[in-house]
Amino acid sequence: MYKKLNDLQFVIGLFFSVVSVILLLNVMLGTNVATKLNTLTGSGFLVFGLLMMFIRSRK
Amino acid sequence: MRLELADYLIILVYFIFVIGVGFLIKKKIKSSNDFLTSSRSIPLWITSLAFISANLGAQEVIGMVASGAKYGIMTVHFYWVGAIFAMVFLGVFMMPFYYGSRARSVPEYLSLRFDEKTRGLNAISFAVMTVFSSGISLYALAKLMETILHWDFDISIWVSAGIVMVYTFLGGLTSAVYNEVLQFFLIVLGLSPLVIISLHDAGGWDNIKALLQPEMTHAWKYMGNANDNPMGLHFMSLIFGLGFVMSFGYWCTDFLVVQRAMIARNMGDAQRTPIIAAIPKMAMPLIVVLPGLIAITLMQPALLSKGYRIPTTASGELDYTMTLPSMIAHYYPTGILGVGITALIASFMSGMAGNVTAFNSVFTFDIYQSYFVKNKSDRHYLLVGKGITVVGILISIATAYIAKSFNNINDFLQLVFGFVNGPLFATFLLGMFWKRTTGHGAFWGLVAGTAAAAATHGLTVAEGKGGWITEFYTIKSGMGQAFIVAGVSWIFNFFTTIIVSLCTKPKPDEELKGLVYSLTEKPKFHEQKWYLRVVPLGLVLLAITILLNILFF
Repeated sequence: MYKKLNDLQFVIGLFFSVVSVILLLNVMLGTNVATKLNTLTGSGFLVFGLLMMFIRSRK
Repeated sequence: MRLELADYLIILVYFIFVIGVGFLIKKKIKSSNDFLTSSRSIPLWITSLAFISANLGAQEVIGMVASGAKYGIMTVHFYWVGAIFAMVFLGVFMMPFYYGSRARSVPEYLSLRFDEKTRGLNAISFAVMTVFSSGISLYALAKLMETILHWDFDISIWVSAGIVMVYTFLGGLTSAVYNEVLQFFLIVLGLSPLVIISLHDAGGWDNIKALLQPEMTHAWKYMGNANDNPMGLHFMSLIFGLGFVMSFGYWCTDFLVVQRAMIARNMGDAQRTPIIAAIPKMAMPLIVVLPGLIAITLMQPALLSKGYRIPTTASGELDYTMTLPSMIAHYYPTGILGVGITALIASFMSGMAGNVTAFNSVFTFDIYQSYFVKNKSDRHYLLVGKGITVVGILISIATAYIAKSFNNINDFLQLVFGFVNGPLFATFLLGMFWKRTTGHGAFWGLVAGTAAAAATHGLTVAEGKGGWITEFYTIKSGMGQAFIVAGVSWIFNFFTTIIVSLCTKPKPDEELKGLVYSLTEKPKFHEQKWYLRVVPLGLVLLAITILLNILFF
C-alpha cells in the first residue's frame, strides 16, 4: 500500500474516489433536493478515480 | 454562500492529501538537487501537467473568467495567440539550450551564456517578483474567502500559507509539482460541471451568440479598429504586444514555468513538456473563458428569469472578479459546492507553491551559492534551500498584509513585474541565436529595456493609469497600454543589446558550445515515431490553433 501511495496516479485516483464517496453519501443521507448534480459528479469522479488507480495497478 | 459538513469534509480531504504528498516525497529527498531540481527524474505526463498548472493560479482562473465576462471571446487570445505559439517555440528551439547546458535555473543559463552580472540582475529581479507574487496570491485567496464565505482573513492567510509551507518544506520541488498535477485535475474536473449546467441554462453556444453583441463572440472580426472591440485593441498591437513580446517573454524565459520542463528525465521529454502541455492549454478557454461569456449572457433580458447576476461593487459597477465565485454559489449545491471552493483554494495554493519553489531554487543556486557562500557541502545547500522556503513563505505572508493595507500595491507590483519581464525575451533570443551577443550587451540591453518600459508608462495614460511623467499620449484600454509598454521595452532591449555587443568583445566559440544555436548539435529524433518528434507535434498544434482562430474569427 505504501509503495502504491508513492505513485501520483494512485494518489490522484484515491483522492477523487474519496471525494466521490463524500458526494454520494451526501446524496444518500441528506435531505437536499439538488441531488442530481451531486450524483452525476460523484459518479463521474468515482469512475475517474477508479480508472486512475486501475491504470496504475496494470503498470 | 454557506458551507455545510460535506463541503468542509471535501476541503479537509484535500488538505490531508496535499500534506500527505509532502510526507511521501520527504523520504526521497537526500540532496539539494532532489529538493530544488527534483534531480531531473520526473515523468513526462507529470512535467507537462505541472507546466500548465504552474500557470493555472488564481489570477488565471478567476481573472480569465472575469475577462470573459468583460471582453467576451477576445479573451481566448491569451491562449490561442498568447500561449501556444510560444510554448511550441520553447519546446522546439529553446529547451535544448536550457536542458543541454545542464543549468539548474534560467539565471544560471544566463551566467553560462553571458556573465555573472547578467545572471545577478535576472536572479534578483526574479526572486523579488516571485516572492511578491506569492504574497499577492495569498492576499487574493484570503480576501476572496472573507468576501464569499465570511472566513477570518488572518486564519485564511496562516492556514493556507502553513499548508503550502508544510508540503514544499517536506518534499521541495517534487512535492509542489505532484500537488500541481492533483490541483490541475481538481480545477478542471471541479469546474467542468459548472460549465455544463450553466451553458445548458444559457441555451447553448448558439443562444449565446444570438443574445450577445457580435463583438463579444468574434475573436478577430472587430479588431481592424481599436474602437470597435471591447478590449480597445488593434490587431497589430495584439499580435506584437501579446503574441510576440509578452507571450514569448513569459513562456520562454520565466523560470517558474520553464523549471517544470527542466526537471524532465531526458532531453526528448524536456522538449515535449511544453508541447504536450499546449494540448490542455488550447482547451482551457472552455473552463476559464466560456463561464464568463455565459455569465454575461445570463444577465441579458431574455434570461433574467434564470436569476443569476454578476455582483456589483459599492459604486454600482459590475464586479467582474466575482463572476466565478458567484456562479459557483448560484449553481453548486452542498457537496459539489465544497468541490468548487476546493478548486478555487487549489488554484491559489498552486500559484503560491509554484512561486515559492522557483524562488528557493534561484535564491539558493543563483544568489546564495554564487555570491555569498561558495564551495560548501551539498547538505549545507539543502538546509539553505529548506530554510529559504520558510523565509519565502514568511515574506509572502508579510506581502499579503501589506497588500491588505495598501490596495494599490498590487497594481504597482504588477506594473514593476511588467517592466522587468517585458524586455527579457530579446536577451534570450539574441543570446541563443546570435553568437556575437556579449555579456555587456545583454546586461545593458536589460537595463535599457526596463528603463524604456518605465518611461513609456510614465508618458502614456490609459483608464487613469500611467502618465506620471507627463500625459503625452492617451491609450483607450489598460491592456493596450500594457502591450505598448512591453513592445517598446522589447525594441529598446533588442537594439541596445546589438549595439553594445558590437562594441564589446564576444566569448570565444569554444565557450559557447551547447549555449548558442549555430554552435550546438541538434537533437535527432529520426528513430522515433512522428508523434513523438517535437517538430511534427508542434506543427500539428499550430495548425489546430490557427483553425480555432478561424472558427471563432
